[in-house]
Amino acid sequence: MAAIRFDKVQKYFGRGDKRMHALSNINLEIEDREFLAIVGPSGCGKTTCLRLVAGFDAASEGSVSVAGKPVMKPGPDRAVVFQQFALFPWKTVRGNIDLGLRNKAIGFEEREKRIADVLKLMNLETYADAFPHQLSGGMQQRVAIARAYVLDPEVLLMDEPFGALDAQTRVVMQEELVRLARVQPRTVLFITHAVEEAVYLADRIAVMTRRPGRIKELVDVKSVRDAEKWNRFERIEDVMDLDSFVHLRTGIWRSLREEKNG
Amino acid sequence: MGPRRFLIGFATLSALGLLWYGATSVTGLVSSGRFPSPIETYTAFQQIAWRGYAGGTLPAHALHSIRLVAMGFAVAVATGVPLGLLMGSSRKAEALINPVFLLIRPIPPLAWIPLAILWLGLGDAAKIMVIWFAAFVPAVINTFSGVRSIEHPVIEAARMLGTPPWRFVMEVVAPAASPMIFTGLRLSLQASWTTLVAAELVGALFGLGRVLNLAQQDIYPGMILVGMIAVALCGWMTTRFLAFGEARALAWRHFEAKPAR
Repeated sequence: MAAIRFDKVQKYFGRGDKRMHALSNINLEIEDREFLAIVGPSGCGKTTCLRLVAGFDAASEGSVSVAGKPVMKPGPDRAVVFQQFALFPWKTVRGNIDLGLRNKAIGFEEREKRIADVLKLMNLETYADAFPHQLSGGMQQRVAIARAYVLDPEVLLMDEPFGALDAQTRVVMQEELVRLARVQPRTVLFITHAVEEAVYLADRIAVMTRRPGRIKELVDVKSVRDAEKWNRFERIEDVMDLDSFVHLRTGIWRSLREEKNG
Repeated sequence: MGPRRFLIGFATLSALGLLWYGATSVTGLVSSGRFPSPIETYTAFQQIAWRGYAGGTLPAHALHSIRLVAMGFAVAVATGVPLGLLMGSSRKAEALINPVFLLIRPIPPLAWIPLAILWLGLGDAAKIMVIWFAAFVPAVINTFSGVRSIEHPVIEAARMLGTPPWRFVMEVVAPAASPMIFTGLRLSLQASWTTLVAAELVGALFGLGRVLNLAQQDIYPGMILVGMIAVALCGWMTTRFLAFGEARALAWRHFEAKPAR
C-alpha cells in the first residue's frame, strides 16, 4: 500500500468566472519510506499538492489518501515543515516540540525521553530552553524539523523548507537531511523549486507543468544514486560533481525550461 | 532611562515650576482666582491630606477611585478579551455579534452615565457599569484584530499538531494576539479613568471626581489643581502597573538575540 496516494485529483480555486484551475488530474503514489520531491515552475501548484496531503485544502475532485485513509483534516500523522518555520515564538524550543506530544496525550516521562532524543538527533541539546528568535534561521528550521520528527508521523511534508535560508546554511541543512534519512528513514513529500536540491535529496522526482499543474514526468534518482554509490561522499559538492548527478540535473532543467518558455 | 535624560526632564519640570511661581505669586500676571499659586495649591493639599475635603482625605478619595477603575477595568477585560478571541476565531460568532457591536459602539461611553445613574444610583455600581462600557470596546476591537492578524502558518502549524480547540485558543491564539491585546488594554485603562472622572463629576458621593466637582462649586482653584494632579498620578500609577504586567507576559519578545551560529 502506498504511503501517499493522489487519485485523479483536480483542484480549483475560486468560483464562477474567477475559477482558477490549479491542479489537473494528478495521479501519484509515494511508497513507504520513499523520499519524493516535486519540482515545477512557480505557481504550478506544487505547494497545493502538499496542502492537500496536509489537509489544509481539500481536492475539488478525486481523492488524496495517506496509508489507505482519505485525508479529511490536518493531523499529527502528517507533520508539516513550513518554509517560514512557523514556530510558536512564545514557546521555548522544548515547548514547541512538546505541544504535538501533549496533544497526543502522551505521558510526561515518555515525552521527556522523546524530546531528549529528538534534540540530540537535531543537535539542539543546548538550545532546549531558548526562544525561537534567539536562534538563527537554520537552527529555527532544525526546531521545526524536530517538532515534526518527534511525532513519529506517517509522512513528513516539507514545503520548500530551506527556501528562506542563506546558501551556506541551506547546504548544511541538506546534508543534515540526508543524514536524517539514513538514521531514521521516513516517507517524505518534499516541495522545492531548486532542481539540485531535489536531485541531491530525493529518491524520485515529480516534474510538474505550468498551471494547471500536471505531473509531466517522474524521474528515478534512487537507482542512479545506488548504482553510482553517491553515498560514499559526505559533502554535497562532491556528489554534485559526479557525471551521473549532472546528467540527471540537466535533464530535469531542460524539462522545466520548456515549461517556463512554452 | 539614562541619568542624562533624567536630568533634562528634571530641568524642564523645574523651569515650569519656576515659571508657575513667577506668573502667579511673584508678578501676579495670572490672578489666583483663575489659576492657583504653588502656595495656594500646597495649602489645599495640606487641607485635604490631613483634615479632609468632600467627605474624606485625599488617600481615601484616591483609593476609592482606583478601586472603581480597577473593578470596571477588570470586568471589561474579563468580558472584552474573551469576546474578541471568540469573534476573531469564529466567523459565525463574528457574524452574530458584530451587528450589535456596530450599533452600540458609536455611543460615547459618557452618554451612558445618565442611564447608569438612573438604574443604579450615585453609588459604585453605576460607575463600574459605565467604565465597563467604555473599556470594553477597545479591549474587544484590539483583541479581535490581534487574532485576525496572526500569521497563517502559525495557525496551520497548530492544526497539523492536532491541537484541541481549548488549548488552541489558550496556547496559540491568545499568545499570538497578546501584543495587540495589550495595546487594547492600555486604551481600555485610559478610557476607564476618563470615564470614571466624568461619572464622578456628574454625580458621586465620594472619589477624586467628587473632589473636583465640589472644588468647582466652592470656587477653590487650589483644590481643583490638587484633584487634577491626584488624577494624573493615579492614572500614571495604574498605567505603570499594566506596563509591568505586559512586560512580564510578553517577555518572550524581548530576550536579546544570541549570536547566530
